[in-house]
Order: sequence, then structure tokens, then C-alpha cells
Amino acid sequence: MSTPATVFWQKNPALAWREIDGETVIISPNDSVMHELNDTGSFLWKNIDGEKSAAELAELLVENYEVTPDIALSDTQALLEEMSSRKLLVTVSAIGRVSP
Amino acid sequence: MSTPLANPGRGPRQQFELSIGRVSLRLQMSDAQLFGAASARYAAFSDAAAQPTTIALNGGAAPNGAPVDFAYELEGAALRAFSTEIRFDGVRNQYALDSLLRVLLSWKLLGRRGFLLHAATVVRNGKAFIFTGRSGAGKSTVASSSPEGSVLTDEISLLRREDGVWRAYGTPFWGEFRAAGSNSSAPVAGIFRLLQAAENQVEILRPVAILRALLPNVLFFSAETQANRRLLEILSQAATEIAGYNLAFRQNATFWEVLPS
Repeated sequence: MSTPATVFWQKNPALAWREIDGETVIISPNDSVMHELNDTGSFLWKNIDGEKSAAELAELLVENYEVTPDIALSDTQALLEEMSSRKLLVTVSAIGRVSP
Repeated sequence: MSTPLANPGRGPRQQFELSIGRVSLRLQMSDAQLFGAASARYAAFSDAAAQPTTIALNGGAAPNGAPVDFAYELEGAALRAFSTEIRFDGVRNQYALDSLLRVLLSWKLLGRRGFLLHAATVVRNGKAFIFTGRSGAGKSTVASSSPEGSVLTDEISLLRREDGVWRAYGTPFWGEFRAAGSNSSAPVAGIFRLLQAAENQVEILRPVAILRALLPNVLFFSAETQANRRLLEILSQAATEIAGYNLAFRQNATFWEVLPS
């Protein structure tokens, strides 16, 4: 029997990044392009560790910011997709955790 | 300082010692014409230090089995940094040598909390004013409208943090001003991002905006992740500790009137 795969998000290990002045600055060594994340983007970035799904990251957003679960999930998914398209993130597939 | 060395079969190898931003280097080469050009070009930066890093130009075989710490190729010329020495190969003229020296310096400065920046630096009242921007931004205008002897460089500035203080050094790397830089340094007063405008005006920048202004103008040639992380750490510290401004200016010397003292 197959189980659904859950996608976890991970920072691209080739990147250089730092927090400065409350914002996260990310540099891609291959093209030296500078990417900047705002407050909530920086919060999500710090929590992206290869072990959290978009839903779990959105839950953290709800716990720390005044935002509804629906908006948190849609904003989180949009940001993850955007960062993925810029090659700032990679995904890690794992055997899904089956809900009780 | 120049010294002939015994080099059987290849003609006399000569060496020239120089120091740029307190990074001490010893250039060794057999090509008399290149040696003459290099020793003239870097004469103002001649310096005999106790333990310079040796650079062998077009020196033939590399050290046997030695790992390469850093390598870079540019238009047929190649830099390879071994633990024991540096090799520049395929260097046909002083311009290739100049380019590889910039690459090497940018790499060596990582370990010295420093970096190279496309910027003119002018010393005024004992402080270094750094004017950064791409070609055409006005670096040469700033340099040419500043008093003689006050320009550390009109093209490539070297910044490094020493004893908690950021200092700017001149470099021998020329710009349009065509003047050899000054082999001296001064504590940094501020970094000014040049913008051409009808009126002179300064606008203070937040650290992240200073970093944004610095990054496109930093000379760096490594795609290696750890090197880039180190560079970003150094630049972030500079952006946090050095005052930075946008400087809209009229392309003449009147801009000094609006600069912070």
C-alpha cells in the first residue's frame, strides 16, 4: 500500500544569507543576485529547516502573527513557490505522516 | 624592491615586493619586459615585508600533488593558489597581471575582514570618503575635482576592518583618471552611492540599503558557497557599522557642501 508523500522545504545549501536590519538578505553565489525578505518572509525563512511542510510553516505564522489560517496558508504557499522558482529553496519528499 | 634570482635555463628571474592594503606580495618572473612594466606600475606600492605571499608568474610546473585552495581563469591567464605559493600562468602583459592581482586580493581579503569595491576614495580632514558606483557614475569626476594628493584611488578602493575601525586603502588599480593610487589609508567617514542629478543632495541609507548599494560594486570572483558566506558576513558588518548615503550630485566639486563632515 502506498502512502502519500509530504513535501518538506529546505534552504538551498549553496546560498549565502544573513539577517540585517530586521530583513533577511540572500545571495546566490552563481549569479550574485541579492534577494530580500520582509519580516514575515524572514520569519518563514528562519523556520524552513527541511522538516516542515507548507501547512506546518503556515501554522507557525498563525501562532506568531495576526493572520487567519486560510490567509497564512495561501501566503506561505505563494512565498514558498516564489522562493523555489528563484532556486532559493529545494523540496524534500518523504513518506507522508498519516493523520489519525 | 627588486632582486635578481638564479633561474638556470630561463634567464634571470626577478622579484618585486609590494603591499596593497597591508596584503604583502612578492612577484617573481623571468620576463624582463613584464618585470619592467610591473615594477613601474606598482612602484608606489613597493614594500619589503617580512613574510610576503610569493606569486610565481609563468613559472612552469605546479607543486606536485598540492591541493588548490582557489583557482580562477581570465582570458587565458590562470590563477592557482596552493598552500605554499600562488601561481599566475599565461600572463602575457601587465593588464593580465593587474586583473589576476585584483582577483587574488579579493580572495585574500576574506581572511582579513576586507573587500575590494568599485569606488573612488578621497581623504578630507583625515577621513576617507568613499564614492561608489559603476562606470559612468561619476567616480572619475569626483577624483578629478578633488585636491591633488587627496585621492587614494579613482577606481578600486580597498576596505578592511582593523582593531574595530574600518579603514580605506588606496590601490594601484587605475580608472579613467589614469592616476596611480596612493599607498596610504584613512578611517572611513562614509560610503556614498553616486547618482547624477541636477542638484546636490544626500540621503542617509539604512544598513540593508547600504548592502544593496555595495553588492553590485564589490569585486568578487568565487562561486564557492563558504567564500560567499564569508563575504556576505563582512559586507553586512560594513553596512551596519559604516554610515552610508545616496549622493545625488551635479558632477562638479560643489557636492562637498552637502556632505556630512
